[in-house]
Order: sequence, then C-alpha cells, then structure tokens
Amino acid sequence: MIRNFSLALLFVLFSAFGAMAQCDTIVQSCEKHMTAKFISDGQSYRALLLDSETAEFQSTFYGDATYRISVCSSLPEGNILFKILDKERNVLFSNADQKNAPYWDFKFLNTLDCTIEAKLTPGMSKSGCAVMLISFKQ
Amino acid sequence: MNLYRLSVTLITGFFGAVLLLVPSGCGPKKGEDSEKDSLETPTAPPLISVNGELFSIPSPIQSSALLKKSGAKYSQELLNQTSNLPAYSNNFKKAVNLGIYGADLGYIIIYSQTQNSLGYLNAIKKLSDDIGVSGAFDEKLMKRFEKNMSNNDSLLSIFTSGYRSADGYLKNNDRNEVSGLVIAGGWIESMYFTCKVLKNDFADKNTVIRRVAEQKYTLDKVIKLLTPYYQNPELPEYTELADQLIELYHVFEELQAEYKYVPSTTDVASKTTTIRSLTDIRISPEQLNEITSQIDAIRNNLVK
Repeated sequence: MIRNFSLALLFVLFSAFGAMAQCDTIVQSCEKHMTAKFISDGQSYRALLLDSETAEFQSTFYGDATYRISVCSSLPEGNILFKILDKERNVLFSNADQKNAPYWDFKFLNTLDCTIEAKLTPGMSKSGCAVMLISFKQ
Repeated sequence: MNLYRLSVTLITGFFGAVLLLVPSGCGPKKGEDSEKDSLETPTAPPLISVNGELFSIPSPIQSSALLKKSGAKYSQELLNQTSNLPAYSNNFKKAVNLGIYGADLGYIIIYSQTQNSLGYLNAIKKLSDDIGVSGAFDEKLMKRFEKNMSNNDSLLSIFTSGYRSADGYLKNNDRNEVSGLVIAGGWIESMYFTCKVLKNDFADKNTVIRRVAEQKYTLDKVIKLLTPYYQNPELPEYTELADQLIELYHVFEELQAEYKYVPSTTDVASKTTTIRSLTDIRISPEQLNEITSQIDAIRNNLVK
C-alpha cells in the first residue's frame, strides 16, 4: 500500500516536473513571434490544460498602443484557440476566424479591460502546457 | 472590515480550500467558463478553477513611454536610488524593489539616459540573484546589454527578456507570491513617477491624467495577484501592502467609467485587428490628489 502510494507520488512529481520543463521549452519557441519591434511585458502566462479546459487571462490593454499576443503549446502551430472578450463578453477577436493563427496584432484605440480565453484545439491533443506571451510596440 | 477587504478575505479562504483539493500544473490559473461567448464545444466542457484567473498587468515601460510622448521632462530625482540597495535585507523588500528598479530602468532607457542604466541593471541583477533567480540576469545578458548601449530598443528588449525569464522561473517553482510582488513593485513605481510628474507643466497633461484614472482597471488586478497570500501569518508585509492598495482602490472605485461596445475590424494581410470599443473615465482634481498622496506613501514605505 505504502509502496503503491510512493510510486503514485513519484509519478505525480515527475509529471509535474515534466510539464514545467515543457512550459519553459514552449516559452522559448513562442518567443520567435516576438520580433524586434515588440517589447515584452516581462511576464509569461502558462496553463496546463487538460481535455477541453479553458484558461482565462484577465488583461488591461492601453489605448493608442499596438499589442502582439502569441499563443503556443508543445504541438505544431495552430493547436490553440484563443478569443478576446470585452467586459460584456462581446467577442472582439477569435483566432478560429483566422485559421487558428498562433499570433496576432491588436491596435487598441482606447484602454480596455479584456478577458483572453485559450484552449487546445479539440481533437489535436488531450493535454498540454499552453503559453501566452504579450508584447507591445512603442 | 469594509466590503472589499471582506471579499478579499473570503476569496483567500476559498482559494486555500480549492488549492488543497485541486492539483496544479505549471503555475496556471484557469477560470470558470461562461455560459456564453466561451470557447466551448457544443457539449459545454468542464472547467476547473484552480486559483481564479490569471492576471496580466501592463508593463511599466508603457507609462514611461506615454510620459515622454506627452512632453514630460526626465527627472532623475523620481527614481529609487541604487544606493538604497543595501537596505533591502528580506525577500519581501528584495522582490518588490526588483519590480521598482525594473520600472526605473525602463524610464531611464525610454528617456535615453543610458549613462545611468548600468547601475540599475546591476542592482536588478543583485536582487534577482538574492531571491534565487540568478539565471534571469546572467553574464550573457549583462554583456549583451553593455554592447547595445546605443540602441534603446535593444536595451528594452534585453532587460524585459530578463524579467520574463525571472517571472517564468518563479512561476515554475511555485513562487507566485514573489512574482506577484515584482509585478506589484513595478506598477507602484510607474504610478509614483506618473503622479509626481503631473505636478509639473507639460504639453499633454490630460492624456497622462487619463492614464492615471485608467489604473482603476489595473489596480484591481494587482490586488487580486496578492490575494492568495492575504492574511498569511508568515507573510505579514503582504497583508500590509494589500491593505494599502485596497485603501487606494476605494478612491479609484469612485471614478465614473462608461463603456460602449463597437465591433472590431481586421486587416488579414497585416494580421492586425483594430479594437474600436469606447471607454470613458473621469477623475476630479481632488481624487487625483488623493491618489497621488496615497501612492507617495505606499512607494516611499517600500523603498526605504
């Protein structure tokens, strides 16, 4: 019983460690979308998604600024769906309308509080680390 | 106990209970789904709330860029002097001042005062080493920074990549409380010099005043970042800082804001969507003074 528990604990620990290492690798590959024109916001947003879970990111975007949002996972590009919603949950953008584009630029005319939802594309993976990077142009 | 503080206390307790029951991944915060406008399949997938949502705080560099664009002059006196570095002896002070010095370095580079930048980068490296994220500002990054002293865009890119590495490392190692403090420190410092600058005359003050008012949205997220550690007996300075920020939020709470949805437009060729929705937020001179006064006290308590 104790042996089984120890093995289960080890499995969980190794799985978590593997997922963390996976997230780091994904951040590095996601950075390729952040060209020299864009400056990082200094943060990396990570979520370990299982099945059809949705990660929710609350963001403020300043007016008169252009942002690049990049989303990545361990699978080939285009395996993450993301949407930007306003506070009334109107859809401002969905990458599903843009062939699941892994990154997109957004010009905000006014400062807005938004929710970004991200999930793995159904049928492409059962689970994985999803990474989102936000950068801005001066 | 006021309502906002009560809700923070209740949320903290709730998060504590949820964290005991739900396994976590690599630092994620997954939110509850909504019945409408979510990314669900027709069968409405299950959503797990691990720790509420994930919060994104705008970069302090954007505030500095706005100050410069608005015609505000550079002022070295606004910055936290690097000579204060030896005073930061505990992890709380080190983490929060890592954020503060980062905001200062962004301000310095935006204003092309790069002769001051190396001192700040060294202070940042020292604090990040002290809190255990030495890999973020390693020798390679320091040398790249020195080699690019004449290129402001490169300098911004290099040092923000260091902050992103530090943020990733802290989240991977379940040190979200430190990551939250760094972010909070950066926000407080950028608010501090933005409010201070408004005491002077410059071309486009109204835009900067509006940006201060817009921090109503951001402050709410900064408080939520600190919420999971609120009233933790092992982290009393967190609670003190959160209480001060909650007091500040009460001033922002009174600001009148309006929002009107306007459909976005997309240019597929340039992969750009223009977000056209309208917001309006109003702030009185008295409210601005109160915010300035409170930010002044909070920031000066953190840097001493």
